[in-house]
Amino acid sequence: MYKDLDPLLHSQLRLAIVSMLVISEKVEFAHIKEQTNAAAGNISIQVKNLQEAGYIKVEKTFKNNYPKTMLSITDKGVKAFEDYVNDLKKYISPK
Amino acid sequence: MDKNYLTPEESFTIITKAISNFKTNYKESAQIFLLWGWILTIACFAQFIILKILRSKEAYAQIGLYSIANWVVLILIGFIIQFFILRKIDKEKKVRSYLEGYLKSLWIVSIGSYLVAAIICIKLAIEPLPIILLIAGIGTTTTGLLLRFRPLAIGGIAFFIFSIATTFVSGEYLNLFAGAAIIFGQLIPGYLLKSAKE
Repeated sequence: MYKDLDPLLHSQLRLAIVSMLVISEKVEFAHIKEQTNAAAGNISIQVKNLQEAGYIKVEKTFKNNYPKTMLSITDKGVKAFEDYVNDLKKYISPK
Repeated sequence: MDKNYLTPEESFTIITKAISNFKTNYKESAQIFLLWGWILTIACFAQFIILKILRSKEAYAQIGLYSIANWVVLILIGFIIQFFILRKIDKEKKVRSYLEGYLKSLWIVSIGSYLVAAIICIKLAIEPLPIILLIAGIGTTTTGLLLRFRPLAIGGIAFFIFSIATTFVSGEYLNLFAGAAIIFGQLIPGYLLKSAKE
């Protein structure tokens, strides 16, 4: 079912993460956790998957001596998201 | 939140929700607008007082020195306060929007343009204020349009009007016009921006 859709994006949490990154230059890990209500461990796994696919970049810094993880989307990630949305449209309004 | 078998409708709902939750933080922009609004308004009125007092005392030799000190000291104070405000904002920031990047580039180019305009005006021995206000108008109107915040765009138009108006004025009264331009173009829209709902 829905074979054309990118399996990496066709997941609730990964799609939510990429959607947030598409509209922002950088998003902190903590913000994604707040918005999705997902467990930090689960988000970390999905972030790692997206990073390994080259869809997102992960930047680790420090904020008040605590680690701060900032995520941003890559050009490859933007292209994958655009393709995914175009493929979705085919299912919603097939010609 | 972890579901791998989504219908296309569910996928669109996730995308729509993520996008609709995105909010532009007006208040951060307002802090910087208000800081420079106050700094420059004080500098303009202080400059008017310096010129008025020293001219009446015929202490012409000291006018240049006090004028430079007024602008340099206040602008330096502005940059120091801005450094701490931006550091605090950066620490608390969880999302950095593309719009913030555009606005940052716009104002860096505007500051560069102020410097170029000042050099050209000194070289040509003409009054820089109309051009300075024109550049402020470009920056402020564009910021208002990008933030989709009408009072700021109108404030930018006020800068354009004052830019033309200053060509009809001369001497120390130019500084009063510039101060009024900043109040209408920057401070009032800045406070409206600060109190605006996100």
